[in-house]
Amino acid sequence: MDNGYVNARVKGMYSRLLDKGSLSNLILKPDISSLITALEDTPYREDLERALVLKPGLSGIEEALRQNFVRTIQKIKGFLEGEKSERYIAIFSSRWDIHNLKTILRGKRIYVPSGQIRENLIPAGEFDEALLSELLKQPDIRSVIDLLATFDVSYAAPLTEVFPEYTEKSDLIILENALDRFYYERVIGLVQGKSTEEQIIRQLVQTEIDLINLKSILMMVRDDIDPDDGERILLEGGRVFNLKKLRVMLKLGSVAGVIESLEGTPYRFLEDLRSTEGDNLKISAYQHLLDEYMIRHAVRLYRGDPLSVTVVIGFLWAKYTEIMNLRIIARCKNALISPEEMEAEMVYV
Amino acid sequence: MTGWEVPIGAAIAFAGGAIATGIAQSKIGAAGAGTVAERPESAGIVIVLEAIPETLVILGFVVAAMIIIMVE
Repeated sequence: MDNGYVNARVKGMYSRLLDKGSLSNLILKPDISSLITALEDTPYREDLERALVLKPGLSGIEEALRQNFVRTIQKIKGFLEGEKSERYIAIFSSRWDIHNLKTILRGKRIYVPSGQIRENLIPAGEFDEALLSELLKQPDIRSVIDLLATFDVSYAAPLTEVFPEYTEKSDLIILENALDRFYYERVIGLVQGKSTEEQIIRQLVQTEIDLINLKSILMMVRDDIDPDDGERILLEGGRVFNLKKLRVMLKLGSVAGVIESLEGTPYRFLEDLRSTEGDNLKISAYQHLLDEYMIRHAVRLYRGDPLSVTVVIGFLWAKYTEIMNLRIIARCKNALISPEEMEAEMVYV
Repeated sequence: MTGWEVPIGAAIAFAGGAIATGIAQSKIGAAGAGTVAERPESAGIVIVLEAIPETLVILGFVVAAMIIIMVE
């Protein structure tokens, strides 16, 4: 399919993303107010001006970044309305529904005020502001799930199914895992076609599943979680690891063992890190490397077929990475973290 | 005296160029509209790019004219 118009617009938008030099300049700003002044010379100006009227400082920056991202996704959805490619973007954006639902469930579990939960929502998926507001008004997790069922939202089914188990064990990971499992199964089901676009998107999602499983396994092995309990949160449908392989990795018993078992897979770069940094490396370093791999893998799609929808998906990943980098800079500035440490946390695309 | 094959040949030469130009301009036009919407400063170059496929139809016209003139 010819996405000439949309892809040209997306390429125009991509050209306005901040390059490494601009991000490095932002890192060197001494405080939040000088960071805001610098950001006013970027495409975030409009969102910043609007957000800073209501919220000063760090909250204002976070609100502006969130609004900018939502506006970007909605703008692209607008271009693709009625086109076949629309559903591929819907697949990408529905991850924000999962993010929003998890945020609401977490907030309701520990009785966080609705206003504070709302600050962390990103209405970029299928859930509109009205539905999110209604969900926020609910007093507890049970009511949130009931409301989803009343509105016939598809995520109600997996949550309802595992709710008795959640009530029994009172472990939020049961609900979160049910959502993840439902989301990835649905996405993989939607891109089963033989077209190049579907194959590329399928591979991207399968890679993401691998990386999520790998990160979970590293954490579970580090924390000595019983493999029988641990395997319940593993996701099916990965590109390299099936459930059988994942179970074997879970039983290896040490982080070093898991990393050694990656020999011959596309994720063997973790072994290089281990061999240079030693066995005492924190799990977060491996996770950062895996996140970086995922982002680079996804952003590479932008440079693929110039008339395919994968250009849009690559751009959205690049945009999201930029937003994450700016959030890291803003939060680190607020917490007086050194530029070197900040630099280590960022991912450049 | 020429038969019907000369004007038909000329028409095919011209039509081929015209159709190819149409296809090329539609693609460039769509992408150009997107480019100008995001970066209005690039309007000049987009107009030049949009005009480039015109060479195809001009070539078709020249070939058609040559067929008619030379055969007669």
